[in-house]
Amino acid sequence: MSGIRLYDYELSVNCYKQRLLLSILGLDYERVPVDFFPGREHQGDTFRRINPLGHIPVLDDNGYVVWDATAISIYLATGYDDSGRWYPVADPRRLGRVASWMAFAEGTTNTASAARLHDTLGYDFDIDACRRGARDLFRHLDRHLWLGELEGRRWLVDGDHPTIADLAVFPDAMLAPQGGVSLTPYPAIRRWTDRVKDIPGFVVMAGIYPH
Amino acid sequence: MIDPVARDLWCAIVASAELGPRRRFATRLLGVPIELTAETAGGFAARSSDRHLPVIERYGYLWTSLGDPVPLFDIPEYDEPDRRILNAGTLQVATSAPRCVENFLDMGHFPYVHTDLLGAEPHTEVRDYRVDTDAGGEIWATECVFYQPKAAANATEGQLTEYTYRVPHPYVAILYKSCAEDPTRNDVIGLFLHPVDAETSRAHNFLCMVDSVNTESGMRHFQQLIFGQDKSILENQLPKRLPLDPRAETPIRADKSSIVYRRHLTELGLRYGVIRPDESVAG
Amino acid sequence: MNLPPVDYAANRGWYPVAASADAVAGHVVAGRLWGSDLVIWRDDNGAVNVWPDRCLHRGVRLSLGTNTGTELVCRYHGWRYATVAGSCTYIPAHPDNAPAQSMCTSTLPVHEYAGLVWTTLDGAPGSVAVGTSPEPFPVEHDVNDHAGSAAVPLWAMTVNVGTGTLEVELDGLRKALTKLVGAEVAVVLQPVDPDAVVVRPLAVGEAAPAVDVSALDAAAELLSAFARRIESGAGANGDYDGNSRRSATEARGYGQVSPHGRTVSTGLLDVEVVAKWETADGIVAFEFLPVEGAPPLPAVQPGAHIDVHMTADLLRPYSLTNGPGDTAYRIGVKREPDSRGGSAAMHDFVTVGDRLTISHPRNTFPLRRDADHTLLIAGGIGVTPLLAMAQTLAATGAGFELHYFVRGPGHVAFADVIQTLGPHAVVHHGLDPAGTGEELASLLAEPGFGRQVYACGPGPMLDAIRATARSAGWPDDTVHFEYFQNPNDLDLDSTFEIALSRTARTFTVPAGETILDVLRTNGVAVEASCEQGACGTCVVPLLDGRADHQDVYLSDTQKATQDRIAVCVSRAETERLVLEL
Repeated sequence: MSGIRLYDYELSVNCYKQRLLLSILGLDYERVPVDFFPGREHQGDTFRRINPLGHIPVLDDNGYVVWDATAISIYLATGYDDSGRWYPVADPRRLGRVASWMAFAEGTTNTASAARLHDTLGYDFDIDACRRGARDLFRHLDRHLWLGELEGRRWLVDGDHPTIADLAVFPDAMLAPQGGVSLTPYPAIRRWTDRVKDIPGFVVMAGIYPH
Repeated sequence: MIDPVARDLWCAIVASAELGPRRRFATRLLGVPIELTAETAGGFAARSSDRHLPVIERYGYLWTSLGDPVPLFDIPEYDEPDRRILNAGTLQVATSAPRCVENFLDMGHFPYVHTDLLGAEPHTEVRDYRVDTDAGGEIWATECVFYQPKAAANATEGQLTEYTYRVPHPYVAILYKSCAEDPTRNDVIGLFLHPVDAETSRAHNFLCMVDSVNTESGMRHFQQLIFGQDKSILENQLPKRLPLDPRAETPIRADKSSIVYRRHLTELGLRYGVIRPDESVAG
Repeated sequence: MNLPPVDYAANRGWYPVAASADAVAGHVVAGRLWGSDLVIWRDDNGAVNVWPDRCLHRGVRLSLGTNTGTELVCRYHGWRYATVAGSCTYIPAHPDNAPAQSMCTSTLPVHEYAGLVWTTLDGAPGSVAVGTSPEPFPVEHDVNDHAGSAAVPLWAMTVNVGTGTLEVELDGLRKALTKLVGAEVAVVLQPVDPDAVVVRPLAVGEAAPAVDVSALDAAAELLSAFARRIESGAGANGDYDGNSRRSATEARGYGQVSPHGRTVSTGLLDVEVVAKWETADGIVAFEFLPVEGAPPLPAVQPGAHIDVHMTADLLRPYSLTNGPGDTAYRIGVKREPDSRGGSAAMHDFVTVGDRLTISHPRNTFPLRRDADHTLLIAGGIGVTPLLAMAQTLAATGAGFELHYFVRGPGHVAFADVIQTLGPHAVVHHGLDPAGTGEELASLLAEPGFGRQVYACGPGPMLDAIRATARSAGWPDDTVHFEYFQNPNDLDLDSTFEIALSRTARTFTVPAGETILDVLRTNGVAVEASCEQGACGTCVVPLLDGRADHQDVYLSDTQKATQDRIAVCVSRAETERLVLEL
């Protein structure tokens, strides 16, 4: 099978981040539905031959296999975005910022999105710690975005174009209410999510509506 | 005291295939901690902190009750040998079970919530349909028609799709929809609600399909996508308990099935997960 | 210095619910005050709306919805609510029905001041007079001291003050911020829940505009540190969402403001004429706004009309030309040569500054918005309701054409609005009846799935459209008419009985009187407007018996169904009619 295949689960934020980037970059790809829930197919022997860690998403580009949400985004943005805007490898200072915010996204995934997994799929996480952690991160994010608007910065990283970091944090924020973390206290986050929704090629997932 | 009407219902707690490997599932039912176990000798058991509870296995799920349960409704299609039976997924939702049932009966939201899947603007009209209550007290909404942009995976144009809805149990709604492979038969899609407490539910997405094409993963993804879209609406609906007073919200003609459902719950005397007409409507 | 505890029991007075800069165009802000969720949105004219965050229909948060610039659209079923008035203008599940005027959300008073959006939960609906400042501020350092000078909101933050203590050390914060940013700082509080407040520092006074971004960043850092300290002292419970908050809010009598809080009056409206101009030969346009101190005018649905009360018993219906978001009413009045005092009085005596009494808008000519293509056909002054429809369709990007038949170029009314419709509008002038007939035949040549026709104009033209559409095969529920008057000769000779199902009363309708006359004589209230079977205002459900339909409002199919009747002109074929009244 040639072309790009994404091992995918409909309700996964990390899979959605890749669907979002693939769509924005205008790439055709095949979705391979993994029975993540309730089948736990990603933990099975067959899937572990694709990703030994037993995690989704996994991207297979003509036989080249890459796993991990951040890794896939970096691969796609570097390999398929000729403008170099989504992952600015030529600009070390901005690239450093993108990497920092990708790390921030790991934080929101492990708190806000973990709380959502707890509240939706019954995962056994410390729900209070997840929500507390998410609120601390969202406060910081709200402040960063509020200040950005005053400085004329519309995205997480300075420059006039969004990066993969925006796409990485976006779904964790949008779906946080499903984990019991309201976005009402963070108006600058809500405004920024509208801006992300306005990016050409934007697609939705369950629970995220168009602007 | 537990609402006696809710207490005497069978409630679907967990898909039996999913309990098997885990052997044990602890949760709450109507706010009461319970535990289901797969017995080493075969069979299943359910208990609360102080006693054993009745348990049955039906339609691929384990059902239990805190009281003396009335008999469970029938789904004849379940026994047809070529049916594909599946729990498409059990998702928890932060609202009452009756809110979930009511949303399941609603077609008007298809273009807005299930955009390009079950509906699409500008085709938003809910045509008149029939609602009847049968001799057994089940609600049937028939002759329901709604524009669907892409009724099947290989469809290129929209069409008017016909649906039949059935409420055989206060916390269960079932949809019959003509199946793509054999238009003489219906696919059966059920939503079985487990009321964890008055404002938290676990929704079992039951599929009983005539489908030789789609993979199990594909069917699960589609159904979870649909319910995942509903979930974010349901969790933003206030109050979380369903108000039974017809004046509490603003029903329109399209809401006929919900009007009958609310009246049915009022007549049953159900209190759990609802706001009775005689309660204050604050909140 | 420690401030006295904030008085949470007295949830009266004005409070901020957002920064003005939060409510940007096209965006929907979610806010919260005293346990009530609020939706805050700015329309394209710059007006800010603050409403309970619940759709009237099923209680879904409107903050999930879309701000179109003139309306807020609910995410669940697409119900549309008009800016300022809060009236529901469209229910997509029933495209052929006009939402009742009573479908109107509560609207909270709004005042923008000191860079913040303020509201109050205890005031009557309405607005604050411009130029006054809301009182009192829940703040130690009164912003009013600096009224007239600029105020710059710093970063605001929701702080969990815990369930045990409500004392907030604000003065220290204020002093530290003042020192940091080099301008006087006031701290305004927005009570959210019993255990949470939004702390909104403002730089005020002459130095405020000079505060630079790095100082704002430092202020935000200081506020963060302040919050961390308060919250560590207040315990780890940082939960101000969802269920866990519920018990606390209920115990204190907090709760959602009901979206039904607004009582919609169905009485008359007092308006002031704010503009009058000649828009075409023999046609004068008027613009109305509410008289000073009155609430905003109800929102207008396309196709709606108002009755202008010329005298106590002389009403004249006029269609509103309003497009989405217009908050002033606009009508066009043609001077009728045989005017009995209606149009001539409007032309000759009504001037700018006059007060008029009008009815609430009624919509007996509702526009379906689920068509793939809509054909609007206007003759002369009949263009007025179709202008409202055209602007609505243009705003949603739907496919439509407006064909406007006039005698000559000087007869084109509201040319400025027609201009904005671009290629969607075609003006036909100077056609004789035969030429008009040919044009209509070509316009109506193709009925099709998802096509609808709306026509308003002189009776003979509408009759021609009806005949042409029928022979071209248009189903009659896809062609909609609004007549100026009923061209039929009315036959009032019959005598029959009417029974009212709700009140179990029976009356005889004698020859020479209408059902409406008999109902009025017996004190049964029925709304009516034209009283000649043209406008549809007086249509009531018919439960039994067969009506002798004499109106031009109901379609042939509707008449054949025998389930409703226009009581101003129609009579009975059977001896008895049962009306749902």
